[in-house]
Amino acid sequence: MTSFHLKATPADSAPLPQRQGARARRALSRVDPMRVVLGALALIPTLVLAFLVYKIFSEAWPAIRFNGWSFFTTKTFTMGNLYGSALEHRNGQVAAGGAQYGVLAFVLGTLLSSLIALLVAVPVAVGGAILLGEKLPAVLQAPLGVFLELLAGIPSVVFGLWGVYSFGPWLSRSVYAPISHLGLPWLSAGVSSNGQGLLTSGLVLAVMIVPIIASITRELVRSVPGNTREGAAALGLTSAESVRVVTLPFIHRGIVAASVLGLARALGETIAVLIISGNALNTYPVSLFAPFSTMASTIAAMLDSALTDSTGMAVHSLAEVGLVLVSITLVVNFAGRYIARSLGTNVPIGRGA
Amino acid sequence: MGIWRRLRNVGFWTLCGLAALAIAAPALWVLYTVFHQSLPVIGWRLLTHNTNAGGLKNAILGTLWLLFGVLVLAGIVGVGSGIYLAEFAPRGIGQVARFFSDVLAGMPSIVLGYVAYITLVVQAGWGYSYLAGVIALSVLVLPYIVKTTEVALRQVPTALREGAAGLGMTERIILWKIVLPPALPGIMSGVIVALAISTGELAPLLFTVGFTDNNPSLALTHQQVPYLTSVIFTNLQLPDPQAQYLSAAAGAMSLLLLVILILIGRLITARSVKATRRMAL
Amino acid sequence: MSPTVNLSTGERRPLLRPGTSEVAPTADDIVLSTQHVSFFYGDVQALSDISLDVHRQEITALIGPSGCGKTTFLRCLNRLNDMVPRTRLEGQVLFDGEDLYAKSVRPIDIRRRIGMVFQRANPFPKSIYENVAIAPRANGQRGNLDDLVEESLRRAALWDEVKDKLKSSAFDLSGGQQQRLCIARAIAVEPEVLLMDEPASALDPVATQAIEDLMQDLKRDYTIVIVTHNMQQAARTSDRTAFFTVDQRPEGRVGVLVEYDDTNTIFTNPKDPRTEDYVTGRFG
Repeated sequence: MTSFHLKATPADSAPLPQRQGARARRALSRVDPMRVVLGALALIPTLVLAFLVYKIFSEAWPAIRFNGWSFFTTKTFTMGNLYGSALEHRNGQVAAGGAQYGVLAFVLGTLLSSLIALLVAVPVAVGGAILLGEKLPAVLQAPLGVFLELLAGIPSVVFGLWGVYSFGPWLSRSVYAPISHLGLPWLSAGVSSNGQGLLTSGLVLAVMIVPIIASITRELVRSVPGNTREGAAALGLTSAESVRVVTLPFIHRGIVAASVLGLARALGETIAVLIISGNALNTYPVSLFAPFSTMASTIAAMLDSALTDSTGMAVHSLAEVGLVLVSITLVVNFAGRYIARSLGTNVPIGRGA
Repeated sequence: MGIWRRLRNVGFWTLCGLAALAIAAPALWVLYTVFHQSLPVIGWRLLTHNTNAGGLKNAILGTLWLLFGVLVLAGIVGVGSGIYLAEFAPRGIGQVARFFSDVLAGMPSIVLGYVAYITLVVQAGWGYSYLAGVIALSVLVLPYIVKTTEVALRQVPTALREGAAGLGMTERIILWKIVLPPALPGIMSGVIVALAISTGELAPLLFTVGFTDNNPSLALTHQQVPYLTSVIFTNLQLPDPQAQYLSAAAGAMSLLLLVILILIGRLITARSVKATRRMAL
Repeated sequence: MSPTVNLSTGERRPLLRPGTSEVAPTADDIVLSTQHVSFFYGDVQALSDISLDVHRQEITALIGPSGCGKTTFLRCLNRLNDMVPRTRLEGQVLFDGEDLYAKSVRPIDIRRRIGMVFQRANPFPKSIYENVAIAPRANGQRGNLDDLVEESLRRAALWDEVKDKLKSSAFDLSGGQQQRLCIARAIAVEPEVLLMDEPASALDPVATQAIEDLMQDLKRDYTIVIVTHNMQQAARTSDRTAFFTVDQRPEGRVGVLVEYDDTNTIFTNPKDPRTEDYVTGRFG
């Protein structure tokens, strides 16, 4: 007992005069309807996600049964003869005659083009962001922020337009054609006049994800406390050494997180790739310059014609392609989050695709 | 300082300079391509005629009409759920909802398009329609709005909430009169940036709203809606040069729309910065 | 604007004369009474077995070293800790004899009758006028609030300084003025009790003096509970003083009440050696 001089409790601790009815009403109305409405709204993203996953899975299910494991080992994706009467029966599922569905070429195309994009974009974005964050005068920082925001917001179809009108033809003429004459492996076959192909797509994807990575990196560079930088200068370090010693340790986790965000966007990008890839079917890309396809671009390219398949298996198989794409994107997202968290930071929000 | 160190310093910054150039140059090249390619058709005709007569009027109206729908739907759901997560959600529920919202942000947009197509256009029988497109686009930008709303509210000092609670205000009044007003600019600019993002997303619309050369109607279902990015995509693939010019002009127009939206967002943020600074408790 | 009006019932109570230690306390004399209150943040206990009576129209000071739970205790008295997730209170807090933590009691009703002033001035990002008027309006008062605003500002000894700039932002005021604005804001709700959490800790000596003068003035109408780090302030201003300290226990550091008595007794003739060590400066 630690309290001294404890005064007696008031003997008549009768409650304040209060109407019982009012009390009961209060108890009932304790849960504010506003809170209920907001809570219901907060459930919507989760419900939508659950519905999306359920729907893509249930749409893909007949295809999963029909295709079996060969879906992952086949590079051919053909809907078969949609107008013939012959049907293909497998595992209790029916598809058009001659139909064969494999995702392997698309997975390869998606991974390769995104990998090219990431390899190009990360050094460019980080180097540029370090220069802009450290050396650009403060007055220009805000306009630069707007500029990067604008770049990140350019519609992907506009990048497609640029890729197919300007960038691709220029690459084909000035870069691919001379190099392909050398006859190097991976760097010769399949050059088209407007440059449609794997490397062009990877580079356009790089241009698309650079603003995402650069703007996050620039914010990180700017958040480095000025006095640590001054401390480095006081030790006689050159400004480049100061970047290595002071800035990079501060921002390297954020760069990992930003790169994951960029990679996720590249993996899911549809329209720009659809325009620039050349939409090669049933084949692996024969060289970096040759046409190819990704999972996302294939869904967009084929959904229309798949609908004419009266067995429905073509649409289901596209859902299975979507399911693989979602799985890969989610794995990348989770891996990135896990890496970022183990390094002590979080993946910032942003459109993944 | 040794010559080697000095050289390394210069070399490092030269590389960074080249990188900065590599950020800016393609972007400027994109802008140049779009505007150069659209020069032959630039004129008032773009605003006064529909797509079948060499203009973009219907596509511009349709784009704005779609954006309005996203503003209403994604705005209400996103801001509402952001408010709940920031102010009321119990810890566990908040973490779960936040996590799934982030996962939703990582969904490839073509998958959204596919599911919206199968579910809304085909199974619900709405056909290519306004509502299907608005829902698909809203799902796309929803996580972004949730996140920016939550961040904006978390920047309001707890001391204000406690001060208001100490005066016996109800949680509803605290929210509306004390917490929301200072957070509003941040929330609004988040919503506007989300709209800007949604102007650029074609994949969810490609299979949900269709296209028409007529002006958009007010019908929610069974009527196709014209919009700019569709003009870019479709006309791009046509052999007729005039169609290709119009494609680029539609690109220029959607870039203009993007610039306007982002500037509005920035303006709102800038105006609120002063007030927020003074509020830092 | 009389604090003797019971806000929830409109019933008028007889005006009591300021309680002094010579007068034997009656039930009516005790506004707030905590009985064996323990408080937990999650699994961590912050307060243990605090029993203490707050007397009407007195200033009760809570003193003690940092981390002894004074502020936590203060926030139990108007259920402000309800806003902190995963907190739990054991024991009872009686307000005019009624259980403050009863299921049927809404925290907002409590907080209208037990006002609070915080350690750092936290005016709303609104005009001076709005800062005072917003809570009464939100709590249902209609019509012209000019008189209420003026009266509240006068009572907080701020009126003369701000009467010509009521529409300007509260952030234009100095720190001391902002704190008095927060007091005016609390008074405008017409509470019976004012809880003050180190209201002068962020202020310079002149502004501190103004707040202390104001407290003496407010004591005529309100019951005040003040947390303070400043022993001189407690000695100067309060009628009763409670000394809290940190008890080192196997399960962790817990805040306990050591001694509660007339301020005079606490500072001149404390019964517990720990109190004596503290008030004579040998501890903390």
